[in-house]
Order: sequence, then structure tokens, then C-alpha cells
Amino acid sequence: MKTMNYSPEHLTSNRHLFWIAAVLGVIMMAPVAWIIGLSLKDNAELLKGTEAVFAMPYTLVNYANILESSSVFGWFINSMIVAIGQTIGVLLLSSLAGYAFARLEFPFRKTLFIIVLFGLAVPEQAVIIARHQMFNWFDLHNTHIGLILPNLSSAFGVFLMTQFFRAIPKEIDEAAMLDNASTFRIFWKVLLPLTLPAQATLGIFTFLQAWNDYWWPLISATKADMYTLTIGIASSQTNFAQSEGLGFLGAQAVFASLPVVIVYIFFQRHIVTAVSGGAVK
Amino acid sequence: MSASISIKNITKRYDSVTVLDDINLHIEDGEFVVFLGPSGCGKSTLLRMIAGLESITEGSIEIGDKRIDTLPSGQRGVAMVFQSYALYPHMTTRQNMSFGLENVNVAQDEIDRRVNDAAKILEIDHLLDRKPGRLSGGQRQRVAIGRAIVKEPKAFLFDEPLSNLDAALRGRTRLELAQLHQRLGSTMIFVTHDQVEAMTLADRIVIMHKQKIEQIGTPMEIYQHPVSRFVAEFVGSPPMSMLPINHIENTVDGVTVEVSGAGKVVTAITLPQDFNAKDAVIGIRAEDTAIVSPQEEGLDLTIKVVERLGDRTLLYGTLVDGTELIAEDTGRSKVKAGETVRVSISPHAAHIFDGNGLAHHSQREV
Repeated sequence: MKTMNYSPEHLTSNRHLFWIAAVLGVIMMAPVAWIIGLSLKDNAELLKGTEAVFAMPYTLVNYANILESSSVFGWFINSMIVAIGQTIGVLLLSSLAGYAFARLEFPFRKTLFIIVLFGLAVPEQAVIIARHQMFNWFDLHNTHIGLILPNLSSAFGVFLMTQFFRAIPKEIDEAAMLDNASTFRIFWKVLLPLTLPAQATLGIFTFLQAWNDYWWPLISATKADMYTLTIGIASSQTNFAQSEGLGFLGAQAVFASLPVVIVYIFFQRHIVTAVSGGAVK
Repeated sequence: MSASISIKNITKRYDSVTVLDDINLHIEDGEFVVFLGPSGCGKSTLLRMIAGLESITEGSIEIGDKRIDTLPSGQRGVAMVFQSYALYPHMTTRQNMSFGLENVNVAQDEIDRRVNDAAKILEIDHLLDRKPGRLSGGQRQRVAIGRAIVKEPKAFLFDEPLSNLDAALRGRTRLELAQLHQRLGSTMIFVTHDQVEAMTLADRIVIMHKQKIEQIGTPMEIYQHPVSRFVAEFVGSPPMSMLPINHIENTVDGVTVEVSGAGKVVTAITLPQDFNAKDAVIGIRAEDTAIVSPQEEGLDLTIKVVERLGDRTLLYGTLVDGTELIAEDTGRSKVKAGETVRVSISPHAAHIFDGNGLAHHSQREV
């Protein structure tokens, strides 16, 4: 039987595949290159036409302007607090819920799990008005808690962690029980460290999602000092057609992307594993 | 530190399904007992009930004088070695062995001493800083045993711990386990479906079948005096041949039975008055047969398969009416498949099983 060869060497040695991949790569990278190019150009020069991107001189003045702008740093900190807070919260709650659904016996366990999974099918748009009103009643708008709280209950996270806990052999728990470990110690010291790959996957996705989130911060953070980067950058547009300050906007976009790029560089192995769904061992 | 174990009237039911039915067993302090039986007989369930990993529907379990079936697993004073070893993958060998002691707040000096002692006994002292992923199957097995030893338990429980090892390593580990038992003198319960493990390791074997204990005895008692047809057929390799009995005739020394397709077989077995002759069979182990000259008395066996094991030769054949019989010849046997040979049976070695499967043996030793 003929087997398919997916090795990188094979793919690059196949001329057709190489060119297809190269074209796709260019299509995907072009906007990134474009925004980096814009960020390195003087705003006044870009007013004449964006083709100025292709010509010298280039400047770091837009990045210098970011460093001088106090609000961008504030938004950056807000995004960090929200993304890290949400990531820690989701990991903690999803792990606890996943352990409970996978290992503990309690009434209506299956029913509750199905209800949690139902959360996967409910779009954010369906609940946004009710959520807005609730947060208004509790005076949580324009607070970090208000930005973090709505996404802490992650149906995907609970599902992922439940499946991962289920995949751990029960003999491990039993060995720990015979080692006189309490239920919490079994969870914390024995099982939780074994879920590290799933934690990494969930953590990365949660962080990226929280960092890029636009809609809820747009509704909840109405004061400029509570903006996250996504909202802050959008609010920096000086006019609708975006014909002015394009270089500065580009620099802000690059600056906003940096944490995401850093996360990707450090965790790319886990991201690839997560996306391939464990198909590649 | 080790102790006796008493299992009293243990029953286990899952809804309407009975998994264990009124089990009674006393294991002496320091005894090596093997639970042997086919898959689904309840042997692992019984072990897990002693460990506290399965609840008990009825009955009680005592270790020493203390009832333990109401205690959580970690407080029963038992240590278990799992079939899959169940080592904690993210912990080193030392951490795996220490974990149980840390949970009961044993002083660090004492933990180090016990771990180092156990590692020395098991010859894994050079592996203490490795994680299970970097250990071979045999090494993991030793770590799992080490984890049990450091706890200095009242009883060791082994749940088919050798089944994941290759044949050579299994044999060696079996020997090491026997030596470990001699060295520690601890009470050990070992679950297996492998009769060689049972025969070689056990002080006593508990044969389990259909949710009940079928027989308890030393390996030789089980082998030579099986209480039932099930035990006779389950223990021993090759299995005991069962020949249907057509007629039973009382003689001075016992009974002579007429075997379907083979004529008369003289035995030294005395049968009771109420013997249930319906579906009765005579059981013969291969080593209790001998190939004799055609002039001597015996059964004619047409050989189908010859299995040469070096020191002996097993002859798988059929009698005149097609009944199967396994006979044994010397290692230098010249018998070939297709030949017909005459087989004699030792009158004191045969076993008769009545219609209920109950065994009757010769009163004289073979």
C-alpha cells in the first residue's frame, strides 16, 4: 500500500506544493508586512498616498509617539490584566469543573455536564443585552472585574478539561488513594500536573481570545482609562476614512500584537499540538 | 508489621448482578496467597475490596484484629501494586516512593532512609532521579514494588503485576518476588490468571470460579487433588483429559470404569453409594500416562499432534470413538503424528468427576 509522505523535506521538494504554499504564505503575510511598513512611515508622507510604504525613508517616530502617549500604556496594562486574569480564572474553574465531571460522583452529573456543553451552542450575541443589564445593576461596568468575569465560565474549557481528566487512568487516582492522599491533594498534586498539555492549550487560546476580544470591552469599558488595547486603538482613529495618522495607527497595531506574537513564539509547540488535536504524537 | 487477613461473608452486587457471593477466607500472617481464576471470576474485585477501592455489599474484612472495610484505602495499612504500575508520571522514582509517606507526615529523614533501603533491595538506587517515562517496563515494576515496600504495610496486594512484562522478565520478576516475600516475611495477596505464577509463588492458592471460591489449598493439593472438574481442567498444562464413563464396576481396590471408545480403565478410587454417574468422566493428566508395547493393557491412541518440549513429549490424540486424550512420552520419543500407540494409565493417578463436577480421588498417593 502506498503511504502519503507529509515530511517537510518531501513537501518542499515537491515543486507544485512548494509554490502553492509560498503563494498562500505571501497572501497571509502581506497584511502583516503592510501594517509594519505603515508603522515605519511618517504620517504626513502617508497622507500623499500609501504607496510611500515602498520608498525610503523609514522612521521609528510612530513608536516613539506610542511611548510618549500615556493612554496606550494604560490600555496595554488593562489588556494584560484582563487577559491574564481571564486565563488564570478559566484554567482554575475549568480544571475544577473538569475534575468534578470526570472523577466525582454527584447527583445530576450527566445532566449538568450536558447543560454546560449547551453553552457551546449559545452565541455571545444572544446574551449580551441581559449581561449588560446585569453588570449595570451590579455596577461592574468600567471595572477590570467586569471585563474578566463574563468569560470565566468557558464551556469549551470545561469540556476540554473533562475529556483530559477522563483520559488519565483511574489507577493513578487509586494509587494516590492508597497513598493516603486527600481528594484535594489527589487533584492538586497528582492529576493537575498531568493535565499540563491541556492547561497550555486552554491557557493559550483563552489568552489570545481575551487579548483580541473587542465586543464586550466595547460595551463594558466606556471610559477611556478602562479601554483595552483593541478598543483604545479603535478609538484612536482620527477620522472615519483613516486618511490621517495611519503610521501611528500601524505602530499601535504592531505594539498591540507583540504579546500575542511572544505567546506564540514561546508556546508554538503547544499551539500546534492543540490545533492538530493530538493527531501528531 | 505484617498481619493476618480475615474475609467474612463478603458479597458484592452491582444492582442485580452478583460479582462475589458469600466469600470466606482467612489468610495467615506472612502467608503468600494467590487468587487464581478465569477472567470475570471476581478475583480482582475481591482484591480491590481489601484495598478499599470497591465497596462491600455485605460482610466484613479484618486485618489483624481490626475491621478495615469501613476505613478509607489509605488507612487500611495495605499497599498495592497495579497491573499498569500506576506510577505518577510527573514524579521521579524517589518522589513516587516518598509521596505516600509525605501524606502521613513521616519525617524527611525517615522517608529518605526507607526509600534508600527499598531502592537498595530492589536495585533501583541508580534510578531514583528518573521519571517513569525514562524507565523500562521491568524498572517501573520495581519502582511500583518499591513504592509499596516503603510504606511498610501490613499486607501487600498485587493485581496481575507481571502481565505487562515479556516472558523472560516475567520469569525473573516472579523469582524476585518470591525472594522478596522470603526476605520481608509479609502477608501478600497476588491476583493472576496465570497458573504458573500461582503454582510457583503461592503458599496457598485460592481458585475462584463463578463468583465463589472453588478450592483453597497448597499448589500441590490443588494440582493433585482438585475438588472439582473445573479446578482439574483449569490448573495444569496441558489440561487434564476428560474421558466420558459408560459403566462403573466396583472392585476390591476401587472401581474399574468403562471409558467410551477405550475399554476398561482400572482405578484405585472408591466411590460413594450416592455417586451421580450421569455425565461422569474420568480425568487423566498427561504425566500419569505411559506409552507401552501393543501387547500390554491400555488404550489405543491415534496421534494427531506431537509436541516436543525437550525433556518430555506431549502426544495429542484421539481414542477409537474420537474422544481426545493427551499422553506423555519421554523427550526421546520416536512417536510421529498419524501413528497409533498404546497408552497405559496409572490406576492411582486417575480422578473421577461425577455428574455434578465433584471430584473423587484415589486414597493412595501416586
